Amino acid sequence: MNFSLSSSLKGSANPLLSQKKPTKPSQINPKFISVSCRATTTLSTGENETTNFYKVLSLSSNNASFDEVKRAYKSMALQCHPDICHNPSRKAEATRMFVQFHAAYTTLSDPVLREKYDCELGLRNFGKMKKKRNLQCSMRKGWQDQIVELKKRSSCRMKQRPGSWGSRMRAQNMQHD
Amino acid sequence: MAEPAYTVASDSETIGEEKSSSVFPEIAIGIDIGTSQCSVAFWNGSQVELLKNTRNQKMMRSYVTFKDEIPSGGVSNQLSHENEMLSGAAIFNMKRLIGRVDTDPVVHASKSLPFLVQTLDIGVRPFVAALVNNVWRSTTPEEVLAIYLVELRAMAEIQLKRPIRNAVLSIPVSFSRFQLTRIERACAMAGLHVLRLMPEPTAVALLYAQQQQLTVHENMGSGSEKIALIFNMGAGYCDVAVSATAGGVSQIKALAGSPVGGEDLLQNMMRHLLPNHGINEIKSMGLLRVTTQDAIHRLSLQTSVQIDVDLGKGLKICKVVSREEFEEVNRQIFEKCENLIVQCLHDAKVEIEDLTDVILVGGCSYIPKVRNLVKSICKKEELYTGMNTLEAVVCGAALEGAVASGISDPFGNLDLLTIQATPLAIGIRADGNNFIPIIPRNTAMPSRRDVVFTTVRDNQTEALIIVYEGEGKKVEENHLLGYFKIMGIPPAPKGVPEINVGMDIDTSNVLRVLAGVILPGAQHPVIPVMEVRMPTVDDGHGWCAAALHRTYGSNLDLETVQKKI
Repeated sequence: MNFSLSSSLKGSANPLLSQKKPTKPSQINPKFISVSCRATTTLSTGENETTNFYKVLSLSSNNASFDEVKRAYKSMALQCHPDICHNPSRKAEATRMFVQFHAAYTTLSDPVLREKYDCELGLRNFGKMKKKRNLQCSMRKGWQDQIVELKKRSSCRMKQRPGSWGSRMRAQNMQHD
Repeated sequence: MAEPAYTVASDSETIGEEKSSSVFPEIAIGIDIGTSQCSVAFWNGSQVELLKNTRNQKMMRSYVTFKDEIPSGGVSNQLSHENEMLSGAAIFNMKRLIGRVDTDPVVHASKSLPFLVQTLDIGVRPFVAALVNNVWRSTTPEEVLAIYLVELRAMAEIQLKRPIRNAVLSIPVSFSRFQLTRIERACAMAGLHVLRLMPEPTAVALLYAQQQQLTVHENMGSGSEKIALIFNMGAGYCDVAVSATAGGVSQIKALAGSPVGGEDLLQNMMRHLLPNHGINEIKSMGLLRVTTQDAIHRLSLQTSVQIDVDLGKGLKICKVVSREEFEEVNRQIFEKCENLIVQCLHDAKVEIEDLTDVILVGGCSYIPKVRNLVKSICKKEELYTGMNTLEAVVCGAALEGAVASGISDPFGNLDLLTIQATPLAIGIRADGNNFIPIIPRNTAMPSRRDVVFTTVRDNQTEALIIVYEGEGKKVEENHLLGYFKIMGIPPAPKGVPEINVGMDIDTSNVLRVLAGVILPGAQHPVIPVMEVRMPTVDDGHGWCAAALHRTYGSNLDLETVQKKI
């Protein structure tokens, strides 16, 4: 978290990028998110299932719409909510699962948090890839880096936007975590 | 958790279909304990059905009379005259008194009731008594509720021809966890096991989810998410919820509630009619209460009402009261209702345009002003009409009873789920006298969260975890739930030991507070983690916290860990 904060500062200092993207701030819409998500999908092959929020909600792709996220959450709830599961020995497991996929849902159903998460996901995957195959990535690295920077800057802008008090508090809480 | 299945003798007369499932679980009944009226409903195998008492009533007045040696409740008892209820022998409005201490303004407002509510204003439970043969016989709200529940249970057992053990009760949103323990206590006294305590608007939300599910089945529609605002105002409490419903799942987005209701409207009106009289005079005038109540009811249908009553002692009221007058007298209460709706919509992060339906239930939903204010805030011309305003809550509770008992319906009518949210934040005292929430308001249940705190003094080996529930920034503004001490923190400079305080709420709304100590670099807790089920305090003694402060000062304090940059 600390790392990403400092690097995003560096990013905004980059004159080339900051010139390129002054039109974007007004569009914090899903369109922008979905584009950037697609870039990370290709890299998320080795992702651990329990930590990828998209996989927790059984979403096939990272550019699922908000409606899809909601629907996935509700259908997961119907399967795994501890109220549904009447086997006392499985209750604890169901509770743990619910807490997990509810966290996934809260992040992915909130535009600001989701963008931030996507950005982190991208960073994490990128780190893995670098270890695995340093050579192949060298070309990809260029645009991947750019996208990561863009997303970070956009999430920075999001933070500066007035937004609702609740969304800001929640974003802060996420940082504490 | 659930009791083993009962073999009921009369089961033999039911059809063979049920025999195949010999482990047929007992279906919990739904009970709506209202401030003025109660009702019971159950899942009859295909739908929810309300029970009727011997006088064919679905709605039964909530009161217990101590007129004879054996107390009797309003389930089957027939009052010879309305005045009998107001003679001091009957205790009612127990829902407004249960689990409250004598410094609570709601208890003070109850002092105008015809029975004895005595307060000493020191933060203990009020003294409640009924007048029996010119003797004040003391009782407690729990006892009164338990007597009433025993009658309800007996009635249900006779009609359903099986023992009743499990129940889902509806409760106001604003009830503190301490109040919930008092309700559980009353149920236990009545031999009922509480399967769930369900905030009233969430019960309505579940009923709504079922109705939407049915219409989807009929229309083969897509079943997209529907956002509903539920406003429930009864005699004692006003509650608001925003729910997101899709595919039979009702997710509670936000809850808001306050102890304002028809009783406050009534008291304001009584004071308005007799402006120069004190609380004790109004108290003795049962007739005034009846007349005013009647006038308020009639003002829902007509724009003005003639009040003509002889209160004795040469006191007569002869007055025409208009609807505007009634609305003006109760302006503050209606404003409070508006604020609750606005706050709930804000907490749910829902725009007014996104609301699919606005549901208005409860006894006060007949008041034109209430209907209008809800409509105008939600910018809706029409309110949702698919529900009986008085029965919606108990029907929802019965549905939850069937779902939570593990009953499945071949037609999918019970493929339902409520994802509940916490109505109040829960946290601990830290950073001086501040309330630091660990589980914020409107967090989905079940929930697990933890926050790291640290010591305030060098070589501090002990720390007090004082748990509160509420919305105030300072601890004094919140309800004390309990406290415990962690000992054996390894001596270290202040700010070094990490004291991890976690909170865990399961689906049955049981709260557990966990606390462990970790030194930097270590993986495992230094001392065994403490786990405490809350609330632990009796009688809601908020002054326990003051006593702790007097004894220990700030020596055992904690503070939040500053985020490292």
